Amino acid sequence: MNGLLTKFLLKNPSVLVFLGALALFTAFVSVGSEAFGWGFISTSFVKTLGKTLCFCLIAIAMDLIWGYCGILSLGHFAFFGLGGYMLGMWLMYARTEIIVQTAMSNEVIPPTDQEVIDAIGTQIFGVVGGSDFPMIWAFAHLFWVQLALVVLVPGILALVFGWLAFRSRVTGVYLSILTQAMTLALSLYLFQNDSGLRGNNGLSGLQNLPGLDDVSQDIVSMWFFWASAFALGLSYLLVKLITESKLGNIVRGIRDDEARVRFLGYNVEGYKLFVFVLTAIIAGIAGALYYPQAGIINPAEIAPIASIYLAVWVAIGGRGRIYGAVIGAAFVSLLSTWFTGGQAPDIPLGFYTIKWVDWWLVLLGLSFVIVTLYFPKGIGGLFDRLVRKGDA
Amino acid sequence: MAELLEVNGISVTFDGFKAINNLAFSIGYAELRAIIGPNGAGKTTFMDIVTGKTRPDEGSVLWGEKSISLLSKSESQIANLGIGRKFQKPTVFEDQSVRDNLMMALKAKRTPWAVLFHRGSDGETARIEELAAEIGLKDALDRRAGDLSHGQKQWLEIGMLLAQDPQLLLVDEPAAGMTVDERNKTTEILKRAAKTRAVVVVEHDMEFIRNLDCKVTCLHEGSVLAEGSLDFVTSNKDVIDVYLGR
Amino acid sequence: MLRVLTLFLGLLLAVPAFAQSSLYDALADQTAGLKKPSSKTIETVISGLQDSGAPGVANFLTKLQSKEVWYRKSDDKFFFVATDDKKTYRLIDIESGEVVAEVAKKEIKQIKPNSGVRAKIDGALVAFRLTDADPAVRDAALVGISRDPKAKDLAPLTAALASETDPDLKARMERLSRILTVSFGDTTEARVAAIESFDGDLGLDARAVLNPLVTTKLKAAPEVGVDENVAKTLRLGNDISEEEAFALLVASGLAQAQPTKDDIKAALKANIDGDTVGGVMVADLGTDEARLAAYMALAASGEVPAILTSEAKAELLASATYYEVYAEADPAVTAAAVEALSSISTAVGVSQFIDLVLDGISLASIYFLAAIGLAITFGVMRVINMAHGEFIMMGAYTGYVVQQIIPNYTVSLIVAIPAAFVITFAVGVAMERLVIRHLYHRPLETLLATFGISIALQQIAKNIFGTQARPLTSPGWLDGALVFNDVIAISWIRIAIFVLSVIFFLGLLFVLNRTRLGLETRAVTQNPRMAAAMGINPDRINMLTFGLGSGIAGIAGIAIGLFAKVTSELGSDYIVQSFMTVVVGGVGNIFGTLAGATMIGFLQKGIEWFNPSNTLAAQTYMIIFIIIFIQFRPRGIIALKGRAAGD
Repeated sequence: MNGLLTKFLLKNPSVLVFLGALALFTAFVSVGSEAFGWGFISTSFVKTLGKTLCFCLIAIAMDLIWGYCGILSLGHFAFFGLGGYMLGMWLMYARTEIIVQTAMSNEVIPPTDQEVIDAIGTQIFGVVGGSDFPMIWAFAHLFWVQLALVVLVPGILALVFGWLAFRSRVTGVYLSILTQAMTLALSLYLFQNDSGLRGNNGLSGLQNLPGLDDVSQDIVSMWFFWASAFALGLSYLLVKLITESKLGNIVRGIRDDEARVRFLGYNVEGYKLFVFVLTAIIAGIAGALYYPQAGIINPAEIAPIASIYLAVWVAIGGRGRIYGAVIGAAFVSLLSTWFTGGQAPDIPLGFYTIKWVDWWLVLLGLSFVIVTLYFPKGIGGLFDRLVRKGDA
Repeated sequence: MAELLEVNGISVTFDGFKAINNLAFSIGYAELRAIIGPNGAGKTTFMDIVTGKTRPDEGSVLWGEKSISLLSKSESQIANLGIGRKFQKPTVFEDQSVRDNLMMALKAKRTPWAVLFHRGSDGETARIEELAAEIGLKDALDRRAGDLSHGQKQWLEIGMLLAQDPQLLLVDEPAAGMTVDERNKTTEILKRAAKTRAVVVVEHDMEFIRNLDCKVTCLHEGSVLAEGSLDFVTSNKDVIDVYLGR
Repeated sequence: MLRVLTLFLGLLLAVPAFAQSSLYDALADQTAGLKKPSSKTIETVISGLQDSGAPGVANFLTKLQSKEVWYRKSDDKFFFVATDDKKTYRLIDIESGEVVAEVAKKEIKQIKPNSGVRAKIDGALVAFRLTDADPAVRDAALVGISRDPKAKDLAPLTAALASETDPDLKARMERLSRILTVSFGDTTEARVAAIESFDGDLGLDARAVLNPLVTTKLKAAPEVGVDENVAKTLRLGNDISEEEAFALLVASGLAQAQPTKDDIKAALKANIDGDTVGGVMVADLGTDEARLAAYMALAASGEVPAILTSEAKAELLASATYYEVYAEADPAVTAAAVEALSSISTAVGVSQFIDLVLDGISLASIYFLAAIGLAITFGVMRVINMAHGEFIMMGAYTGYVVQQIIPNYTVSLIVAIPAAFVITFAVGVAMERLVIRHLYHRPLETLLATFGISIALQQIAKNIFGTQARPLTSPGWLDGALVFNDVIAISWIRIAIFVLSVIFFLGLLFVLNRTRLGLETRAVTQNPRMAAAMGINPDRINMLTFGLGSGIAGIAGIAIGLFAKVTSELGSDYIVQSFMTVVVGGVGNIFGTLAGATMIGFLQKGIEWFNPSNTLAAQTYMIIFIIIFIQFRPRGIIALKGRAAGD
């Protein structure tokens, strides 16, 4: 297996380049961080960068399903959100448990287990007028189970949805709309107060690790940054292994001519399902890493528009080339933070002042149209051209 | 049983139009057969039914020694049973190299896991070289399939069919748009292939069929009009009527 | 008392019109009784006044009731009196209402009827108002009674009914008298008859008067009381849980309340003795069992009330009967009420179903309107336009802007509809020329590019109009609703939208099937090269078709804006449903869209009916249903079959 990996890396030096760049970037941020270095990178910016890495991670998944398999999923943020919710449940439960136990330890008579659980329930669900734990919180106190659910819940949802959709040969734009409907249904469901996940309040306080209140956010933010970078690197390697294998050939074959692959004797539905579930799992992991850095998750996060932005990132970055997805997600999401954060200078036109907070989305929408029309290969395409020129 | 494929009494209707009407057809284990017929005779629909793309309203399609019914099988299952199909328009994976195209078609395990951990063995590499030689693309193995000429794409597709090692090859208009030399070469490839397996060729070009030198089935309005040698079929009065539109 | 009232009402009605005399004359006859009114004398006074038929009696009685009637000591003449400073008093003529003199207080005396007298006057006044010459007064009297029905209103009402001439008022009086009879009828028979008259009645008032008759109270008692109207006897453990039964016993004073967990905890806390309580270490009290043991120990030493043993509790529970008892004592009445209510609930169910169907139709027409433009661009041209929702939004904003310029709502609506069409048509054509034209046969990329446009358009609208909702006010003649009965009602706006969607449906059917444009569109869709060879300019056709689809979205925007708030997100609220409508219905024909809209509209209303409080859940379930539906009919309800459907 080791030999195989070495052989693979030698055959695909671009993977080494990417992993090297990622490692360098991680080292740079570590050195610049407030926790472990000179501190010229603020903790909040470390979090922004960490979140950006998570976006890059889900963009990889998006590129695999869209750029390679040809399925334009407009629902992958549903998996991202579910991953976040699954880990968020444990974070919120465990932290509330500690708070409640601390508060109750002052009481004369020690609390019963039931009293502790009731108090946690009131703490968590008081905001939606409840105090009982819904069924879905059955494992919230078990870290390892919730961690497994980060992978299992998006995976199973993708499995069921994908099985239904692919089995009935729904393809193309129909499938896109169906995936969009899926994420819309999920977000509408979660918006209800009795969804069991606190309705539109969502889960909050996720940036605090239970039992580690003494550790400052400066350090925690770096932990998550490293975890995100590690997950990104590993997923990049994994996805690259897939795309460069015979499986990758078949998946691209499905994208280009599904019927032909079928007549070659491949069970196209099975392959699609495999890729769909795999990408859903990657998206779930990305979400589980993202939301502890964001601190809060609510149903608005998985509204259809989020998944559309994901498609925008990948398209602008250049689909069908994994690094393109990474560049697109990083570039567009950081740019978006910069513009909407009010840091971009306004442009006075005399009769009107262009405020970027207002006009950034217009710019993004129109540039997206232009990229689709004139640069279907995106930023990655420009890269390819440079590399090819270098060769010649 | 003596026949490889036996089709009996199949009919299929599209929006009131009877594309196939009580069609019966059979072919042996190592046989070359040409199917002719005017446009709309049901040639392509017939292939669609055999390969599982279209389900007939009635009738039976039986396959192989065990007389397995193909009607409840999916396209990929049918392909794995040993039926290969070449489409009217050359359909190869243009974005990938000729080698990858052939590798994908090569007979091997077809589950995602097996494919993910697949590493080309020396035997497979040798087989691909052999196939490439057979279809005259030995020097083009590492070219992008999309960069091939029209005729080369047709051959590549036939090569992919052969790589599947099927017992039955369904070939839809292989000679369309080819030069004379290319046609002759295609004839050679098909005739050679038919020595070890059944090959069904749908073609309009009579000259090409004459060169194939095989039994001919003429379809019209979804059923068999005549069957026999090319001369026998072309001298049939009904066939003449149909072709000349009388 | 009732009988007396009935009597004088009868007399009142018997008085012929010509018997009118002046109020003064009438009062002169009653001077003695009036000056010192008592509940005994007032009846004679009132009936005397009524017999006289003099004008202004009602007014006089009203003033009398509010203690505004005085009499002059010198001549016993009655006046209304007003004063500003409590020194000089103005005398007001009781007939003309004019000030006739100003006097000092000592010259006059106030008549002060006591509460018993005032109540009698009140009863008489109802009768007066119900028989007033002015229908508006009668109407107000009816409304007053129905708002707060009282037993005493029944007799005057029944009496007034006979003389009422206005058919509408008469019908209402008749109904109200039956309502009153249900509660206050003299005899069981009368009440039962009145109750039965409401069989299957949909009025809210009927249900409001019947429901209290069948309300029950849970009771626990050693035995059922003799005069109690029992609705149901409850079996312990089956119809009523032991906890509930015990709570009932406690409430009825048949048992002592048992300490709750919180009580136990509080009791333990109060009795801590050093490190222990009841012999148990305080630190060990972290379980319910330990706490109970400690409490029992405390109870044994008599420091806290004891807890019943389960045997004692069971014995207590077994000693009582549990039953539901009607608040209404008369079993015949409750039986009739139960019967009438059940027939009403059947009738209400039928009406609700009809109402649901109407709601479904109305929702379906909204979806149809939202989706129909899409059915043209996506269904006919196979162009996915994710900015379709923004065309709807543009149409709605056009309506808003036009209303800012033209204040008359009707005129502005007439102007706005073509304006919205023209604007969205133009934008649609521009979009087709600039973007979509380059992306034919690349559907996924069309989807993405139009998404870019959608994001940009939405944000531009937000920049221009702000984030707050803008009103698009409908003209007055579209206000209100078409009411069939108390259950079935449909607002005129929804009817207008239904009519609009029917017009669109027929219009588009005509355009696509019977006009040159429709023919050419279909030709271009099916085989553009062939169509071009036949002299059709596919560019022009695509442009026009896309413009048409967009223009229709603009008009739909006005219709939707009339009942929904106009915001920049208006379109995106409808886009997914619109696509669902087209996909579920079957791509490529208008009938499919109609079928899709009908199905989705009815489905959503149906789901909402099962779970009315939760429209979010309804939408969730609907989308899940659609995902499953597509499993079975991937090509929609009305699918093209065979080769024409393509892949």
